[in-house]
Amino acid sequence: MREISVTVNGRARKRIIKDNELLLDFLRDKLEVRSVKAACWRGECGLCTVMLDGHLVKSCLVLAVEADGREVRTVEGITSDGELAPIQKAFVAHGAAQCGFCTPAWVLATHELLRTNPHPSDADLVEATSGLICRCGTYNQIREAVAEVSAASKAHRHPRDTLARA
Amino acid sequence: MSFGSPYTTLPDFEYHKPASLEEVLQLLKKYGDEAKLMGGGVGLIAFMKERLMSPGHVIDVKEVRELKVLENSPGKGLTVGAAVTLSELLEGGVLRKDFAVLHEAIARVADPMIRRRATLVGNLCEAIPWVDSPPALIALDATVAIAGPDGRRSVPVSDFIRGPVDIDLGPTEMVTAVDVPHAKGSHSAFEKFTGGSEFSLASVAVSISNGGKNRRARVVYGSVNSTPVRSAEVEEAIKDGITPGSIRKAAELSSEKVECVDDVLATAAYRRHLLKVITTKVLRRMMSQ
Repeated sequence: MREISVTVNGRARKRIIKDNELLLDFLRDKLEVRSVKAACWRGECGLCTVMLDGHLVKSCLVLAVEADGREVRTVEGITSDGELAPIQKAFVAHGAAQCGFCTPAWVLATHELLRTNPHPSDADLVEATSGLICRCGTYNQIREAVAEVSAASKAHRHPRDTLARA
Repeated sequence: MSFGSPYTTLPDFEYHKPASLEEVLQLLKKYGDEAKLMGGGVGLIAFMKERLMSPGHVIDVKEVRELKVLENSPGKGLTVGAAVTLSELLEGGVLRKDFAVLHEAIARVADPMIRRRATLVGNLCEAIPWVDSPPALIALDATVAIAGPDGRRSVPVSDFIRGPVDIDLGPTEMVTAVDVPHAKGSHSAFEKFTGGSEFSLASVAVSISNGGKNRRARVVYGSVNSTPVRSAEVEEAIKDGITPGSIRKAAELSSEKVECVDDVLATAAYRRHLLKVITTKVLRRMMSQ
């Protein structure tokens, strides 16, 4: 048992944890961040994806104690002043959520992709999200949502093919 | 390595986060068999969920400065510290020029999120027969640098992996790095077949060096047996050049001579067929480069 301090979506949170606790359980059970989903528990589906110090990780493969003194961001942390991020609006517009269970992870991962690469190609999108599964199969709608945000972005476009809107 | 695990929790353990190699060795001396080292944790956490491992102490080496070394110089070759992740190795494609076989073997491991956590040394130390980095490292004549209470030693990767989940490492020792020699004029490539599985059913790592008079070829097959298998026959077939004729011969020999096993992923007969396919594929690509 030990106390850890983790900044979650900008807010410092302290809790007593056991050394063998997963970051996934810490976030869901101790902090009640329920957008982080528990599904496969073995790093295959990616629905427990969060940002740890600015990088996407699968929280079922990370110990809670490893996050001590570090910063975690979940999908709740990408909105500003209650305003949905562009990718969230695009997910709504394109019906990119079916049952919605995987949606927080996909929103977080595509938001991060568009931040680092505003005009991703099909291959970039497939590679960046290869660790995520949508069991309803909304991949086409997600692609449309990403393409819309990319098309609206004023960021410099690489002189190569980027996602075309269907 | 699970197939439908019911486990979602980890066994009880005490977590340690040493800052130096010396501290790691002290902890190993104190806890020995009771301790497991954790790099990215990808394998260890999975093994612990399965209760295939239930260490009383987990020693996280991610922040150990000495283990973060990543050097690549024409004279010394490549040194990859135990805390270097696969993502860090792939960054900027620095391995593509001289160590293409290693780059290709790790570029398609799992997904970007896992590659950001997983380390090359961790990948190697798991010694899972279906993992891609060991055959690539053996094809490059890589060695494992080990530190322990009696000092340091170095072992070729081919000897380090003794069997499935069995490595040449004492309970108070640790792997500090993998060293890959720089071979002049070398040319290498990797190919695998997964058939949609999370692991390779068969893989091949090829390295040819033309430096000086000593032209040498290494052909190592992964995932077909409990440890990577080097094939002297296939090496001999391509030693004097990769031509349509030598490719045909190499493909036939791979299927005939390389010992394959039946396991949960594939039958030996299917693997013998795959060897022919991937040997042809990798050599054709090398011929056209």
